[in-house]
Amino acid sequence: MTARTIHFTLNGAPVTADIKPHHNLVELLQTHFGLTGARESCGQGLCGCCTVLVDGRAVSGCLFLAVRIDGTEVVTIEGLDAGGKLNPMQEAFVETGAFQCGYCTPGFILMANQLLDAHPDPDDDQIRHYLSGNLCRCAAYPQIIDAVKLAAKKRKTIAA
Amino acid sequence: MIPFELAEPKSLTEAIKLLAPDDAMVRPIAGGTALMLMMKAGVFHPTRLVSLGKIEKKYSGIAAGKDGLRIGAMTTLSALEQSLDMKKLAPVITRTLRTLSNVRVRNVATVGGALAHADPHMDLPPVLIALGASMSIAGPSGERELAVEDLFTGYYETVLQKNELIAEVRVPSQDGTRAAYMKVTTGSADDWPALGVAVALQSDGNAVKSARVVVSAATSKAMRLPGAEAALAGQRIDDKILARAGEAAANEADFIADVRGSVSYKRELLRVYIGRAVRAALESGAH
Amino acid sequence: MATITDQGTAKVGAQVGRSVPRLEGRDKVTGRAEYTHTMRLSGMLHVKLFRSTVAHGRIKSVDTSAAKKLPGVAHVVTIEDVRKVIPDPYYGPAFHDQPILADGKVRFVGEPVAAVLAADPHVAEQAAQLIVAEYEELPAVYDEVEALTSKVHVHDVLKPAGTFADLKHLKDAKGTNLALDYRLRRGDVDKAFASAAHVFEHEFRTQKVLHLSFEPHATIADYKDSGVTLHTASQGPSFVRTEIARLLGWPENKVRIKVPYLGSGYGSKLYIKLEALALALSMIARLPVKVALTMEEMFYQITKHPSTFRIKSGVDKDGKIIARKCEVYWNGGAYADIGPRVTQKSGLTASGPYDIDNVWIDSYALYTNMTPAGALRGFGVPQLVWAYESHTDMIARALKIDAVEFRRKNLLREGRPHPTGTVLKDAAIEKVLDRLVERINWKQPMDRGTGVVRRGRGLGIAIKAVISPTTSVAIVNVSADGSVALYCGTIDMGQGSDTAMAQMVGEVLNMPAESVRVVQRDTDVTPYDMGTLGSRSLFHMGHAVRRAAEDAQEKLKALACEVGEPEGSNIPIPALFVKKYGMQAGNVIGTGIYKPDYVPPAPGTGLSSNVTPFWMISGAGAEVEVDTETGHIKIAKLISVLDIGKSINPKIVETQISGAALMQLGFTMFEKMHLDGGQVTNASLADYKIPGFHDVPTAMENLTVDVTQSNGPFGAKGVGEVSTFCVSPAIANAIDDAVGVRLMELPLNPESVLRALRVKAGKPLGDE
Ligand SMILES: Cc1cc2nc3c(=O)[nH]c(=O)nc-3n(C[C@H](O)[C@H](O)[C@H](O)COP(=O)(O)OP(=O)(O)OC[C@H]3O[C@@H](n4cnc5c(N)ncnc54)[C@H](O)[C@@H]3O)c2cc1C
Ligand code: FES
Ligand code: FES
Repeated sequence: MTARTIHFTLNGAPVTADIKPHHNLVELLQTHFGLTGARESCGQGLCGCCTVLVDGRAVSGCLFLAVRIDGTEVVTIEGLDAGGKLNPMQEAFVETGAFQCGYCTPGFILMANQLLDAHPDPDDDQIRHYLSGNLCRCAAYPQIIDAVKLAAKKRKTIAA
Repeated sequence: MIPFELAEPKSLTEAIKLLAPDDAMVRPIAGGTALMLMMKAGVFHPTRLVSLGKIEKKYSGIAAGKDGLRIGAMTTLSALEQSLDMKKLAPVITRTLRTLSNVRVRNVATVGGALAHADPHMDLPPVLIALGASMSIAGPSGERELAVEDLFTGYYETVLQKNELIAEVRVPSQDGTRAAYMKVTTGSADDWPALGVAVALQSDGNAVKSARVVVSAATSKAMRLPGAEAALAGQRIDDKILARAGEAAANEADFIADVRGSVSYKRELLRVYIGRAVRAALESGAH
Repeated sequence: MATITDQGTAKVGAQVGRSVPRLEGRDKVTGRAEYTHTMRLSGMLHVKLFRSTVAHGRIKSVDTSAAKKLPGVAHVVTIEDVRKVIPDPYYGPAFHDQPILADGKVRFVGEPVAAVLAADPHVAEQAAQLIVAEYEELPAVYDEVEALTSKVHVHDVLKPAGTFADLKHLKDAKGTNLALDYRLRRGDVDKAFASAAHVFEHEFRTQKVLHLSFEPHATIADYKDSGVTLHTASQGPSFVRTEIARLLGWPENKVRIKVPYLGSGYGSKLYIKLEALALALSMIARLPVKVALTMEEMFYQITKHPSTFRIKSGVDKDGKIIARKCEVYWNGGAYADIGPRVTQKSGLTASGPYDIDNVWIDSYALYTNMTPAGALRGFGVPQLVWAYESHTDMIARALKIDAVEFRRKNLLREGRPHPTGTVLKDAAIEKVLDRLVERINWKQPMDRGTGVVRRGRGLGIAIKAVISPTTSVAIVNVSADGSVALYCGTIDMGQGSDTAMAQMVGEVLNMPAESVRVVQRDTDVTPYDMGTLGSRSLFHMGHAVRRAAEDAQEKLKALACEVGEPEGSNIPIPALFVKKYGMQAGNVIGTGIYKPDYVPPAPGTGLSSNVTPFWMISGAGAEVEVDTETGHIKIAKLISVLDIGKSINPKIVETQISGAALMQLGFTMFEKMHLDGGQVTNASLADYKIPGFHDVPTAMENLTVDVTQSNGPFGAKGVGEVSTFCVSPAIANAIDDAVGVRLMELPLNPESVLRALRVKAGKPLGDE
């Protein structure tokens, strides 16, 4: 099927890629850019392992046609530690031990940042609700709640 | 996924022209969340998809008028969830969206897709039916109006022709309506429901003047339950009335067994949840 | 969710006992950790498998012609092609019973029949859909109890691998589905039953569930005539190497197995899985070949064993259990995998943490026409505990004895022989029970409610023996700048073993754990380890690592002495090397090997004076709320109490306890593979649900008791599985406490609860 060229911004840098209509966003990032932080697990929009931000909104890369990326701004987990400095959410995940195997972790971190953008000081219920669309088979859920709360504190300190 | 062609028309009219009245392998794609699942599972192999992503902007907005809200079919579920107009008109929709799928899917999935997909487990159809919503359907020969309750004909089946598109959804004013939607899961908390029950009541305190009651998920399509509605209409709500409405609902719905429960169990759930939904609606306060 | 944690451990030293953040944390939170599933080699081909649609059948034909014609397809492979490169294409840890691709027969729905190779995975997928197979369907057997006597035989001839002595007698056995029968005989149960005041007999069942690790199985094989390299998501690279070398008829040193991070395993990536297939395909293509499953395909790879457990106890007039008979049937699926080991190793503790003079255990590993079953976080023990702790509660209830009192009367105490004959040591069963009773407020009355929602509480306790005897080897390499690298084969699949091992090295060599580098697993570099399984690593590899570090320490001391340093000199390590070699040069290599003592169970009686180097002990308590109109259960509180000896890293221990308990919560409440004629009808995450945020109990307590494992490294022992054991019976017992119904089969889903309530009320639900 006909290939086409798309142009978009990837973690701040303008890029182009030749893709086909049936390619999804995860494949695009992995095969063209070697970025494997968004990874396919359930392949059905349920687990969140493939989370990518498109124009500032979280999407499941596994269910997102790559052609739709044309002209957008894309941020992946690899864009978070610019200059080698961890994002506060990443720091918080390390400090609270909010993961085990780590396969789901990039997705949780991206989603949790979205949560704090919308609710800078979330309670347990808000955290649970917002993150309920991400799954962790290692079930690090209690520690993830701790991490989000810690990150909220860190963000406030940075802002102050 | 297996290769296909993708067309990206700039207008609704052009999109309709690109659809094929007799070819099931040509389909519109909106957010793509449901279609991608079907293609990945190998149950749908399109030759061509017609993307609605680039059609006129007016199809992805919410407009408030005297007689209610007009929601463009390409409006994302997130936009609908965050719409203050929607929350004012029918907070039951805002609440329903909170537990509909997850943030990522809501950011991408559209109102049109949420109706046209016709999976009986979906949450919006029963609520929209209970609220008396309708749609404007566009086809080669113009637009027609259709009530959401008349859209579904069966499991994943609608009355839509292959070259028709949902252009807009209309939710009428809900003065004095009290509504609730109950999503009952039997697996994990975020499972697809084993049963959905939506009710919209016109009532004066505990006294129900009229009721619209809709079942979903446990049946092959979202549908109204006239027997339950009749059992509630003109009644002051108490346990006995609710039991009677539950009984009527249990007798009139056509249940389907699946991994989420047997027919007998789903019948019991409906019996109980009619009452719970009515009580929740009464407690929710008028719209 | 409120979480209470209390490790109750004193710090052993500066490194051990400290909550060191995971060493690999940064790689994981930045998305840069490497997993096999997302790895690529240049020139690599992708594979899509064509799978059987029938549960049992003879293959009449496989038509691959259309698939071969599709542009972009490199190869379409069936067993005939495989045989040309590997003449005897059968593999497996206990039996060499699994063909690389179906060979003449298919034995379960989903069994790989053909493989398509293409550079573009979409092309491979499209081509696989063009393959057509014809089968002559054969009658199939699915139920484990039926399988023991069924006329349907999954295999015509049994082929034990020869690795295990207790399977030898099954060589060439015909006309049976029995892959192992383990027996334990202690005392005289029949006589004891005859003299018992009360006899209770129950049957419990568990369902088919699976690991569903988020990184699906994946292997890349890169075959060259001079040697083969496999990148694989494996929990046991040493075993993979042995098995691949056997299939090739090569020495092990030509086979290299590399394992990056694992997107977890829980037992699913043990022994040999996709590796044999990937090897064969790479030999055929003469290119690197990647076999990577989708989540849906994992339902056809490996699952937990469904089980039926018939348990019978005789109790005397004082409430003492005097006899227990256990018959356990393990549904092993179409290929044995490690099922026979599950059958034996868990079978030996089937009578529970109780002091019973007369015990009879029969544990049967059975073949059926379903996806193979293997180890899943507990090696069979959760299935057993589900049964014996439900049974124990039912007896107490029937005898009107408090459930805790009844357990206390019968507890196996320190110094007493376990039914195997091995004397109990460092097994804090009573302490665990005490702590549980205290945390769940057992002695205080509970408000059980009067309306639609009723409340109840329940508990359970358990014992497990570790898989034995097994060997671990470790190397500690001190470089001339004083930096230290650890080479060990334990796979860190999320359990935090790299961090814990580094802590042990740091403890011995007196340096921060954070500065110790744990080298990525690569069998060319990292020495032998039996496998990362059964909570064995911290104990076995821990000892090997400790010994390797001590050996390095000794060698450093000897070096100091050699270069003329005085006794007790604290010369910095870099200076020491310079003194010896005149510049920054050289290494000190410490090695350590550990294999515990062990006496194999005697054939026929299963008795052994030393059946395990350590015991795993745990208890769980649950408080539930039951919706009596719908059967929905809410878990208000879940308490886990474990004896893990000393905790090497309290934070990681906490996540292991809560993670394992939550996983078992899924297996208890709703997880289930639904099968229809051998076909899985819910093979995806959309229909096979696992616990999410909203399924976490309102309150969780993850506790350990303050004890030391006297023969453990730094007083420690394993933890990975231990909190799974008691979750299921604790919840079932709590449901009984709340509403007086007893569920005998997992999962405890709302429909089962409502059905039981309706039966009790004399208004059973219909069968529609
Ligand atoms: C992980 C996940 C969880 C989910 N959970 C829920 C849930 O809890 N509750 C729930 O209700 N739903 C749930 N869904 C379903 C979700 O609501 C639908 O996938 C979504 O609404 C479909 O919208 P879409 O725009 O992505 O449709 P698409 O996938 O683009 O299309 C779906 C169907 O509608 C047709 N179509 C789309 N737009 C139009 C139009 N304007 N006119 C005519 N036909 C059209 C398409 O041809 C296709 O047949 C879930 C989905 C996913 C992936
Ligand atoms: S892989 Fe995309 S959500 Fe699971
Ligand atoms: S850390 Fe393993 S899946 Fe979340």
